[in-house]
Amino acid sequence: MSSPPSGSEPAAGTGAIERLHPEVQRRLHRAGWTGLRDAQERAVTSILEGKRDVLIAAATAAGKTEAAFLPICSALLTRRDEAASAAGAAAGDGPAAAGLSVLYLAPLKALINDQFERLEELAGPLGLPVHRWHGDVDGGRKQKLLEAPSGMLLITPESLEAMFVLRGRQLRGLFADLRYVVVDELHAFLGTERGRQLQSLLHRLEFVLRRRPPRIGLSATLGDLGLAAAALRPGGGEAVEVIHSDQDGQELRLQLRGYRDGGDEAHVDAIAGHLFRKLRGSNHLVFSNSRREVELYADRLRERCERERVPNEFLPHHGSLAKPLREQVEQRLKRSSLPFTAVCTSTLEMGIDIGDVASIAQIGAPFSVAALRQRLGRSGRRDGRPVLRLAVAEPDPPGDRALDGLRPALFQSVAMLELLLEGWCEPPAAGELHLSTLVHQVLSVLAQHDGATAAQLWAVLGDGSPFAGVDQATLLQLLRAMGDQELVEQSEDGTLMPGAAGERLLGHYSFYSVFESVEEYQVVHAGRALGTMAGDDGLVAGQYVVYAGRRWKLLAVDAQARRVEVEPAAAGSAPRFEPSAGGEVHGRIRHRMRELYAGRDEPRYLDDVAAALLRDGRAQFAALGLADSSLVEDGRELHLLVWDSDRVANTLTALLVAEGLELSRRGFALSLRGLGADELLERLAALRQRGPVDAVALAEAVLNKQTAKYSWALSPPLLDRDYASSCLDGPGAEACLDRILAEGG
Amino acid sequence: MTDTPPIRARDRDAILQSLGAGVVPRRGHQHIQVGRHPEVKALLEDIERVADGGSSIRFVIGSYGSGKTFFLHLVAAIARERKLVTVSADLTPDRRLYSTSGHGRALYAELMRNLATRSKPEGGGLASVVEKFVGSALAEAREQGVEPPVVLHRRLESLSEMVGGYDFAHVVECYWRGHETGDEELKNNAVRWLRAEFATRTDARKALGVRTIIDDATVYDSLKLMGRFTRLAGYGGLLVELDELVNLYKMSSGRARSSNYEQILRILNDCLQGTAEGLGFVLGGTPEFLTDTRRGLFSYEALQSRLSENSFARDGLVDFSGPVLRLANLSLEDFFVLLRNLRHVQAGGDEEQYLLPDEGLKAFMDHCHQRIGEAYFRTPRNTIKSFVQLLAVLEQNPGTSWQELVGDLRLDEEPDPDFEPLPEDAEEGEGSGEAENGGGDDELASFRL
Repeated sequence: MSSPPSGSEPAAGTGAIERLHPEVQRRLHRAGWTGLRDAQERAVTSILEGKRDVLIAAATAAGKTEAAFLPICSALLTRRDEAASAAGAAAGDGPAAAGLSVLYLAPLKALINDQFERLEELAGPLGLPVHRWHGDVDGGRKQKLLEAPSGMLLITPESLEAMFVLRGRQLRGLFADLRYVVVDELHAFLGTERGRQLQSLLHRLEFVLRRRPPRIGLSATLGDLGLAAAALRPGGGEAVEVIHSDQDGQELRLQLRGYRDGGDEAHVDAIAGHLFRKLRGSNHLVFSNSRREVELYADRLRERCERERVPNEFLPHHGSLAKPLREQVEQRLKRSSLPFTAVCTSTLEMGIDIGDVASIAQIGAPFSVAALRQRLGRSGRRDGRPVLRLAVAEPDPPGDRALDGLRPALFQSVAMLELLLEGWCEPPAAGELHLSTLVHQVLSVLAQHDGATAAQLWAVLGDGSPFAGVDQATLLQLLRAMGDQELVEQSEDGTLMPGAAGERLLGHYSFYSVFESVEEYQVVHAGRALGTMAGDDGLVAGQYVVYAGRRWKLLAVDAQARRVEVEPAAAGSAPRFEPSAGGEVHGRIRHRMRELYAGRDEPRYLDDVAAALLRDGRAQFAALGLADSSLVEDGRELHLLVWDSDRVANTLTALLVAEGLELSRRGFALSLRGLGADELLERLAALRQRGPVDAVALAEAVLNKQTAKYSWALSPPLLDRDYASSCLDGPGAEACLDRILAEGG
Repeated sequence: MTDTPPIRARDRDAILQSLGAGVVPRRGHQHIQVGRHPEVKALLEDIERVADGGSSIRFVIGSYGSGKTFFLHLVAAIARERKLVTVSADLTPDRRLYSTSGHGRALYAELMRNLATRSKPEGGGLASVVEKFVGSALAEAREQGVEPPVVLHRRLESLSEMVGGYDFAHVVECYWRGHETGDEELKNNAVRWLRAEFATRTDARKALGVRTIIDDATVYDSLKLMGRFTRLAGYGGLLVELDELVNLYKMSSGRARSSNYEQILRILNDCLQGTAEGLGFVLGGTPEFLTDTRRGLFSYEALQSRLSENSFARDGLVDFSGPVLRLANLSLEDFFVLLRNLRHVQAGGDEEQYLLPDEGLKAFMDHCHQRIGEAYFRTPRNTIKSFVQLLAVLEQNPGTSWQELVGDLRLDEEPDPDFEPLPEDAEEGEGSGEAENGGGDDELASFRL
């Protein structure tokens, strides 16, 4: 049990503590607690009652775990006393309840291990057993728990999924006594396939139990807690009691260092040197946006260690490394007995299960505040003081094209840090269908019940389930598509069962997870591999992509082989304009960037070079008149600055390529050839006149729609809808067009 | 029709009550059975073989609604008339031939709960079999003028030499001791052990001093023991009926399917080779369960070669000597005869008492056809249920016109409670569950890939 940090004042209006069970109070007293902290104080009553869902949002180290578990332990003890007195025995030695009382879910094994120790310390002396269950827990322990389930179970969504698949019929007995469901780090699940999986599992568990135990969500403070509440209880977010505590916040230590990339690799050495000096001797994570960079920096850091004759503490981790190499890195991170730093790609962070590191470093602009926040959550758990180092290099001199001087990577980084400090993070996107996860859940339900009819599947995964956007016709379409892939088959009485391919998937442990790291694609021209690029860049055939400083026309994408076919475009060089890579950027960030360009403040966390780059960018922005126009002509190309989310940029790209325009895209800049600003505005106006943007129709032309693990199982019409719901934004594109038209030339 | 045997009131009530509740009756099958004479004859030969101390196995294969369950019940009733003990159970996801998590023991326990003899056709007859064993041993001892334990041990010795037989014999002996000393608890414990109701060895040891229990691993061995035991008790042998084997086919895990099929292979080998004594099996399943080469019995190569049917027996030619017996679906004519039989049973065999004329039966069939299509006579369970209910209403409300009632009949499926939506708490779930299934449910129900 972690004690309150020294000097923390008990919140006003104590009394909550007195409502806790006397034994819990004694525990607290003995551990030197003088009172409850804000979040803890406010959570007691509702959780003790055990009737409502509760969302507790507070900073890391504000005592969220105790806020949930002090009243939970109290409630369990009270009930034990009642059972004991009903049985005529003395209070305190009542019989253990049959079945688990608390189900606690967390996104990481390492977090579960931490919490396991913490909760054992809290609940062990109270006689409440605590169990952990994930991939690294040995089978004997699991077997024992299955034989005599009681107390609290700490588990990952994937292991809970495995229970549904492998022990579907035991679930009812196992959770017969379930009183609370706790979801830790709820923010990490927001809007993801994994989050949808978790919601579906909880929904299915309620189906098994025939009742709804209250859910308690623990979350970092977010801009819009209503969305987190809706994620905790899909369809019933308004009824969730939200406890938002902004006290006891931790102090974030932050620096953004700017570097000038002069074409040689001097800035690489400078960044590596800085990291070497700051990171050696303890545990850290260094994130970078591309594999090439990961390899580059890991190599420079290793060289450095050799030169200084110290053991190498830096190893790379990314998707194309051999599995043993990756596992070695993960093992070292878990053991954390020796100082160690992993240099890894952002796309892989889901796969790496790490507990606590001293600090986080990020090379290049990050792509989402949520990811940044999640990484920060890995740091400073022990002392409550997370550390973030950002290194951003901008080309210097900037290049001869108009956009090059805008320093977009720096501005994107600053915009994100500002939003992070304001407590904002990307809200889960509404309206996503998550059909890939639905495919997964269908298989899981079939395994759980040894087959089910279409009507039964609809009862569990359709109406009232977290798959809110899926209607009956869509589910049936999806089942047919799954039949075509031999994922399901049907017996004469109509029962659907896992087919040959479905059985193969279910038989392997990799089935239990729904997330998959985004893979890089091989870029191929005339049978020759040119290198790799992020898979979500290429959109529609005929679109131009900028790769290795040249423009290429996109011909085809082979998602299975992870290959992109291109041919060189006639005219040569392209702008070096390069904001970020590796993920989807939210519109709010782009809006903030535009505000930053127009603003005057210089954040304190910028070093001198970064501050100078910031001033450069603002000067260029002003010179191009971008405050009230989104169009830039630079002689060779016409650039349209979207200043909106990648979804909107995707949608506009597909829309304009469909119009027959010659277009290449870099981040939020669409570069067009063969027409001037006035002509473009005319065409945009005409386009807008034609009515709403049909995202599903646009999706048809998109080459690579394999956005999630089971996208391949979907039929083309379903895939178009799924893709449109998760990667395109029709209304957003309309709003963006309206803005551009309003600004005029 | 007219020379059918007289219908006893007990049979009549059993038939009407069971069918009215949608289940197959346990007695009186002969009054309503339609056709199937060669099939019954084939099973009769099996029964005779078991009663002679031999063994047999039959796979009764028919589509949904072909009357497998009814046929199995009929066979069991005949077997009991021939002094066999019968046990029967449906396989379910929780009751399997092989399992490592208690589903095998659950199947065995269900079989023993349904143990039936001629005098106890409704099941629950295990205790009386044990009692009879003890009673006949005592009688033999008296006759021969020896001490009862001598006879008892002589009999039990033949059990002890079988796999798992030592503890089985010990438990029977416990029952006898309880019988001698008036220790009811000991007797109860012995019967509980034989019913596989002990879940742990520790409990069994405390109660009876045995080291083992009947568990997942010993289902078939225990059935063999039970087969010999029934003969020692003076019965002809044991007939084991397992229905709904399609549930093995439906299991999601390929490994679980094949380990269950492996048990079936073991039973098949023993029965065909005659190594089991006084033991017969009748297994009911659908054609897909048998012949699907991906997930059915035929996915197990050794079973496929043993169970492949006589390739000459087709186009009207039959061979009832193989282990697979195919039940043809009821034809429309059969169904009509079945309704007539039911009407006959209801009237207690008295044509004067018929509640509706033949045209009423036709009207009923037409109505069913309109409501659920031509499949109604191929999945007769619900159709027959509502027919019996129709008869009940006509009987209890004299003067009611059958024409009106037939038009109002409802035919519906019972839902699986596991998939029922949660009851929305009125206060909590405001407006969250606007269940609008307007018209789409038919599509769900009739969904085909």
